[in-house]
Amino acid sequence: MQTIDITLTVNDQQQTLPVKSNDTLLEVIRDYLDLTGSKEGCGEGVCGSCTVLLDGHPVRACLTLALEADGCAVTTVEGLADEDTLSPLQQSFIDHGAVQCGFCTPGMLISAKALLDENPSPDRQKLRQALSGNICRCTGYAKIVDAVAHAARPESGCPDCHTKDSGGDHD
Amino acid sequence: MTDYSIIGKRMPRVDSRAKVMGKARYTADLKLPGMLVGKILRSPHAHAKIVNIDTSKALALPGVKAVVTGADTEGVKWGVFAYTRDQQFIQTEKVRYIGDEVAGVAAVDEETALAALDLIHVEYEVLPAVFDPMTAMTTDAEPIHEEFPNNINIHVNIDTGSVDENFKKAYYIREDTFTAPEESYFHGEPYAVAARFDADDCLEIWMPNGGPHMKSKPLSNAFKIPLHKVKVRKITIGGAFGGRSEICPADYICALLAKKTGCPVKIVFTREENTIATRQGHAMITTHKTGVDKEGRVLARETTCYMDGGAYSSTGPIATSVPFLSMEQAYRMESVRYNGYRIYTNKPIRGMIRVHGRGFACGLDTQLDMIAEHLGIDPVEMRLRNSRQPGEFTSTGSQVWSCAMDETIKKAAAAANWHEKFGKLPPFHGIGIGTNSVQTGFPMGIRGGSQSFIKFNEDGEATVMSGVVDNGQGNENMLVQIAAEELGLLPEDIHLVSADTETTSSDPGSYSQVSTFVGGQAVKNAAANCRKKLFDVAAKILKTDPDKLTAKNRMIFVTDHPEKSVSIKKTVRVALLNFTSVNAEGGYWPRVDMKREWVSNPYGQMCEAFSFGTTIIEVKVDPDTGQVTVLNAVACQDVGKALNPLVLEGQFEGSVAMGGQGGMLTEYHDWREGRCLNPTMLEYKVPLACDMPEITGIIVESVDPRGPYGAKEAGMSIAMSAAQAYAGAVSNAIGVYMDSFPLTPDKIVAAIREKRQAVK
Repeated sequence: MQTIDITLTVNDQQQTLPVKSNDTLLEVIRDYLDLTGSKEGCGEGVCGSCTVLLDGHPVRACLTLALEADGCAVTTVEGLADEDTLSPLQQSFIDHGAVQCGFCTPGMLISAKALLDENPSPDRQKLRQALSGNICRCTGYAKIVDAVAHAARPESGCPDCHTKDSGGDHD
Repeated sequence: MTDYSIIGKRMPRVDSRAKVMGKARYTADLKLPGMLVGKILRSPHAHAKIVNIDTSKALALPGVKAVVTGADTEGVKWGVFAYTRDQQFIQTEKVRYIGDEVAGVAAVDEETALAALDLIHVEYEVLPAVFDPMTAMTTDAEPIHEEFPNNINIHVNIDTGSVDENFKKAYYIREDTFTAPEESYFHGEPYAVAARFDADDCLEIWMPNGGPHMKSKPLSNAFKIPLHKVKVRKITIGGAFGGRSEICPADYICALLAKKTGCPVKIVFTREENTIATRQGHAMITTHKTGVDKEGRVLARETTCYMDGGAYSSTGPIATSVPFLSMEQAYRMESVRYNGYRIYTNKPIRGMIRVHGRGFACGLDTQLDMIAEHLGIDPVEMRLRNSRQPGEFTSTGSQVWSCAMDETIKKAAAAANWHEKFGKLPPFHGIGIGTNSVQTGFPMGIRGGSQSFIKFNEDGEATVMSGVVDNGQGNENMLVQIAAEELGLLPEDIHLVSADTETTSSDPGSYSQVSTFVGGQAVKNAAANCRKKLFDVAAKILKTDPDKLTAKNRMIFVTDHPEKSVSIKKTVRVALLNFTSVNAEGGYWPRVDMKREWVSNPYGQMCEAFSFGTTIIEVKVDPDTGQVTVLNAVACQDVGKALNPLVLEGQFEGSVAMGGQGGMLTEYHDWREGRCLNPTMLEYKVPLACDMPEITGIIVESVDPRGPYGAKEAGMSIAMSAAQAYAGAVSNAIGVYMDSFPLTPDKIVAAIREKRQAVK
């Protein structure tokens, strides 16, 4: 099949890539760029494991054609940390035990980032709604909601966050 | 209480950093040089003879590197037990469900592989098919496996005696039948497998698994190669829930394609394949007959359960037993008769699942509520009168050493304000309680024990080798916590090598809830042996006796004179300079009755410990739409000892979601003549973040005398009891005891309507 060159700025790196017209953005990210953090869980836009930011807006990479993303900025889970320094959201997921099998985690983090970028202090109901496009089978969402709520308002003494009381206490 | 440094602390998991950075690699993420794409051709028929397979056109397609059929196999049949070997990895004579494996293709890319599948011509002779167990058992039903008359795959019979006599003594007897259809796991990660053969003809293979050693043996049998030539490698796993335990035909097909092409091959399942061609939960029809005295104490019980097993045996004998065992553990029933039948049908294969036997357990608890109402007893009191007590034996002869069932019931009831709410809630509001008990391990024969090896590195850090696998539940962190605690190191000093059959010793895997109890205990013992060797060296340095030493925070010190100390690093280096080994091994074998067998002898010590859980759910129901809103959820489990409360809470919360919210409200499969109508995430409704209530988790610690630090199974008792509590809450809200699960809006509306009509 004929390829067409597109330009993507993925995690702040601009690249020109030859893609097929039926390649999805997810295939380009995973197969061409080897950014395998974004997952394919259902291939039909339901599970949210492939969620990435396209010009700051969350999209299902499995339902987005690569051609549609031409000229856009893409943020994947690999773009959340600054080198080895995790973003507060990533750190909060770790501290709150929001990660179990981890398969939904990349998409969940991206959806959470999209929410907090738009609404820095959502209430728990808003937060639950914003994460309802991402399916998690392990956690029952409880600790994910805690983690995002805490990342949104770290100073407010998140009532569900016990981690700071005893976390990292090995003595 | 013992003062631990790391055990019992809320410790963020060691594997989570890689996962939040997107660096954790799952099987589908693997790329090996020259890797081909594998695809599987599946049966379009529920039951058919394979007359002929012509692969010539597929082979001629440019880019196709190999096509395999049953003719390429050694003809080995798989079964978990010697008496259940009924499944070929690629069918040679007939197919038994829509999705059965017929052929495999390896090609340069996915498009070519899919095109090749279309070019394989299979000639079938369609046979009559059966889709429900009651029809399948009739004498004129088409046999699915010739060697199993009436399509009865497994019959488990348990009879403790005196059942008929005790029914005669009963003050009140009820008999009710409960049903539930199949459900699925819907793991985050669709199944995937990657395989290659190396220069020494060793098979190297990656896939999600519930125990790598459970995968390597059947692969060695299927290829007729020695066990050491099968190297199941560690890979991050996106959930298991009981559905990743057995060998999957795709493992074999992938490896066969790799062998034939000489190239690495990867097969990634579609979501639909993951639903149809891994495992599902059994559909069940369960009749409970229960006789009680005036105080509601169960005197006799007779339970008969028909389970739709699908096309092959899978874990049949276990699956047929566990729903009963969970209830005989939770409740005293000295006098009980159980007949469990697992029936073959022409539907996908059923195995173990997190809430194994929801219809069975919810039925038993619903019936207890019915009896309680008849006798005027509060449901909480009803359970306390029948709950398992420590020191007792289950009806099949397992002694229960640790048990805080009563404490879980009382604490959950207090936290949920049960006594203020039960019977006093507004119309269409309801509250329900469920209690359950789960085995910490099954008898696993030769693979029942785990062994670990620990080596010290010259920088004072340690490498721990263990066969334990992490499916997402936190097993890796558990092993690191235990090793660090025992060795006096920090978690970051422990390097874990696990879930790899080449480098680790035999281990039972995670699927019988035994990783902490057996695998964790093996690491604990290995670390204790290591520590002993370290102390021998340190004692000479500190000029004291080894038994006067303590290890903590990377230091070894004299317990009564902490100022006299030496670092572990220095101790290791002194040992190396003196040619003294400080490496050690350790193992753990559960003390169970090895003569116990699922079918032939279902009596004796089943496992060493049992967990006990209570969930209480409060709901409101919209009587017009049948929609259920959960107002409150309290989950309380006796976990023995919480090694990491942060992880345990996560297990509780996930269990409420899958067992209760999904399992009792929305999750089930629909069928048309053996074809699953809702195999994808769009049609099969799993709970979302907006559906879930806030959950109060309560940890109860009975400190099991045999568990590591007192720990035992954690989380599964919540999944099971949550299903029961949801069922009870909805029934309580609408004033109708529901007998068909899950409780979907159509059933709820119909029940309300029927009740109103009956009143008129």
